Amino acid sequence: MPDWRRVKDRLFTAATVALALLAVAPLFHILATVVVRGGSVILRGGVSFFTDPPAYPGSGELGGVGPALLGTLWLGLVTSLIGVPLALLTAIYIVEYREGRLARVARVFTSSLLEVPTVLIGMLVFLVVVVPMGRYSLAAGSIALAIVMLPYTVSYVERALEGVPRTYREAGYSIGMTRAQVVFQVVMGIASRGVAAGILIGVAKVLSETAPLLFTIGSARGSYPTGPQSLLEPGDALPLLIFQFAQTPYSNWQDLAWGAALLLTLIILAIFTLLRLLFREVKL
Amino acid sequence: MEPVEVKVSDLNVWIGGSHILKGVSMKAPPGAVTAVMGPSGSGKSTLIRVINRLIDLIPGARVEGKVLLGSLDALRADPYEVRRRTGMVFQEPNPFPHMTIYDNVAIGPRIHGLARGEELDRLVEWALKMAHLWDEVKDRLRDYPHQLSGGQKQRLSLARALALKPRVLLLDEPTANIDPVSTVKIERSIMEYAKTTMATVIIVTHTPQQAARISDHILFIYQGRVVEYGPTREVVLHPRHDLTRKFLGGEV
Amino acid sequence: MSEARFKLLVAPPAIVSSAILVLLFIVLLYYSLPAIREYGLGLLASPTWKPVEGAPGEYGLLIPLAGTLVSAVIAVLLAMPLALASVVFTEEILPRGLHRWREAFVSMIDVMTGLPTIVYGLWGAAVLAPLLGDTLYKWLHSSLSFIPLFSCQPTTGNTILTAGVLLAIMITPFIYAVVRESYRQIPRTYKEAALSLGTTRYEYVRIMMGMAKPAILAGALIGFGRAAGETVAVALVVGNTFNMPSCLLAPSYTVSSLIANQFANAQLYPLMLNVLVSGGLILLLIGIASNILGIMYLRRVRYVA
Repeated sequence: MPDWRRVKDRLFTAATVALALLAVAPLFHILATVVVRGGSVILRGGVSFFTDPPAYPGSGELGGVGPALLGTLWLGLVTSLIGVPLALLTAIYIVEYREGRLARVARVFTSSLLEVPTVLIGMLVFLVVVVPMGRYSLAAGSIALAIVMLPYTVSYVERALEGVPRTYREAGYSIGMTRAQVVFQVVMGIASRGVAAGILIGVAKVLSETAPLLFTIGSARGSYPTGPQSLLEPGDALPLLIFQFAQTPYSNWQDLAWGAALLLTLIILAIFTLLRLLFREVKL
Repeated sequence: MEPVEVKVSDLNVWIGGSHILKGVSMKAPPGAVTAVMGPSGSGKSTLIRVINRLIDLIPGARVEGKVLLGSLDALRADPYEVRRRTGMVFQEPNPFPHMTIYDNVAIGPRIHGLARGEELDRLVEWALKMAHLWDEVKDRLRDYPHQLSGGQKQRLSLARALALKPRVLLLDEPTANIDPVSTVKIERSIMEYAKTTMATVIIVTHTPQQAARISDHILFIYQGRVVEYGPTREVVLHPRHDLTRKFLGGEV
Repeated sequence: MSEARFKLLVAPPAIVSSAILVLLFIVLLYYSLPAIREYGLGLLASPTWKPVEGAPGEYGLLIPLAGTLVSAVIAVLLAMPLALASVVFTEEILPRGLHRWREAFVSMIDVMTGLPTIVYGLWGAAVLAPLLGDTLYKWLHSSLSFIPLFSCQPTTGNTILTAGVLLAIMITPFIYAVVRESYRQIPRTYKEAALSLGTTRYEYVRIMMGMAKPAILAGALIGFGRAAGETVAVALVVGNTFNMPSCLLAPSYTVSSLIANQFANAQLYPLMLNVLVSGGLILLLIGIASNILGIMYLRRVRYVA
């Protein structure tokens, strides 16, 4: 082998490794920064970081992200209540009636939602929900987030259901099961881990989204959403708080943004870990 | 329970553009095992899927002709009704992986509300005994089937079908991928079930040896047409048709 | 449950899910029409942004549109080498006995995909922008200012280039996923055939990448769509200033960051809301078009062995 070929090969390998490491390097820097800056803020705030409202901007006090954390949990819950049934039933329709026109339309249109910038979902919900209602609300935010969740969960669940071998459906029908029984007792049961994974991925997406909330939940920095009646009130959420506080000049609010970022990252990483544990499929 | 004769007349099936079954007529009497044999692709599996209307699940399938299960017009009746009266065992062992061994057998009686409590326990035990599986699983009914061997899984699939005490039992090459010991047990189950309950058993097989071992009648199909039909002894010892002779000799 | 009732249970959700995209398109179009009627082509071609309270202001989307295109193109150009190198790294360099490492690397990329965009944004604004502003941009300006792209004096780290760099970091995992999936589908026989020619790794990878070319293009298009639509992270680093992005070291605007900043208050200004919605409509079309084109390229990937 001529020397220049070998040299070129070495250079290529070295450059490839360097670029690949460069691709993931930001992850470490981001995680390290979030852990160090956010961690010190959470340690400083202690329990009150999780429970208190933000302190007055520019004051020496820190306060906490209580309302935003509670808002994020409410949004996650209400979004799931809307989005999960919608996504599961849509996925079931797509798989069960795959030959039909509606199934094909539903598959293409829901998966296209994946490529729609999420800020436009916020725009849509602002125009068709917030404006007619005359106010921002957690409910409007949940509707927007349910739309964000839809394509992720539909496509995962769809794949999980498609992955169930035909023979199990036949077995179900052969003992006289109705289609509903085959779907809910056999197919969903066998695909349960895939279905759970699809739901978890949808929830992770929803909890981390900011743009759909910009024009839907308003901002209610100090008030806690305590019960269902607060769904019709404006609220706050961790990602939104980070976005807004990051743009302020107040150091105590910027600190809260870092603390919230760590909290949000930990929530997302926890869901991912759960997913990893789940994704050992049902043994067939 | 009423014995049910299966009677197929002039059955034609198309899937997509291709003509799978071409004017098939046959009879399967109760209390006997009827073997449907023929090379792969001859339409055997399609035939039994017409009898229990699983053909409905195949997109683009079109069926013409008449199928009678006793007095029930199977092609006109509610498919769920047809499937309730028939049981089926498939080529690949397919007990539901997310249900326990017990639940796999109990699922049929449960969804049809046929038995519960101790009565259901007895029914499960009966079905597992009938499938010659009881002794091997009686201490682990709450386990999931993935620890079972392929042959045990297939007997569990058989027990699931038997738990509904179907008047017609359909089997689609049930021992094609199964160890010899389980094959023997399954064959015995099938014969015993036919004789003791006067059920009508139709088994699709690609091996003439199996057909000779367990069946009372043989239907030989080739390329979607019935070539020969008759009592097993006659078909095996004195085949009337050249194709049958070749198939028995392993040439087709 | 009978067949008919089952269908009654699952069909309405399927219809609702399908209708969302249609509704989005119709609503955006409906609210865009007044702006299109008022400004015509100026909507796309005018660089002016003059809000007036109580009367229609002068609005053109030229600057944010250019900002969106420039930042997304920068992002794709920077992300492609990173993504392709990562594919080669995991598929060709690491596997030899380092299975664990490969899984670890893939997990890292997965985490990058799932990390909330707002966390990227916060990091971008607090760490990346100042870093680039103090080092790279000063150097680019002092040594390469004869190139128009680097001619302006950098005054802040929040620039269109920072937006591009941050977006590149964010879309690399997406491009990686698209290319890797396709790369792995190249049949073994081709790999063996290429290796049997006595190729070096470089030559071999070039052949393989040649085969995966449609997937690479698809990855670039899908990455472009993602970058163009990303909102909050960009809004935190792009500078949000109506500057033509002809110099990369200056703050600018993108359509999405303009919407993020102005939409909530746009109702106070006649027609501003409509103009912003028409910007959203353009983003929607970019997103859908890049995805459709991407999928078309992916369909071309057929390795016949």
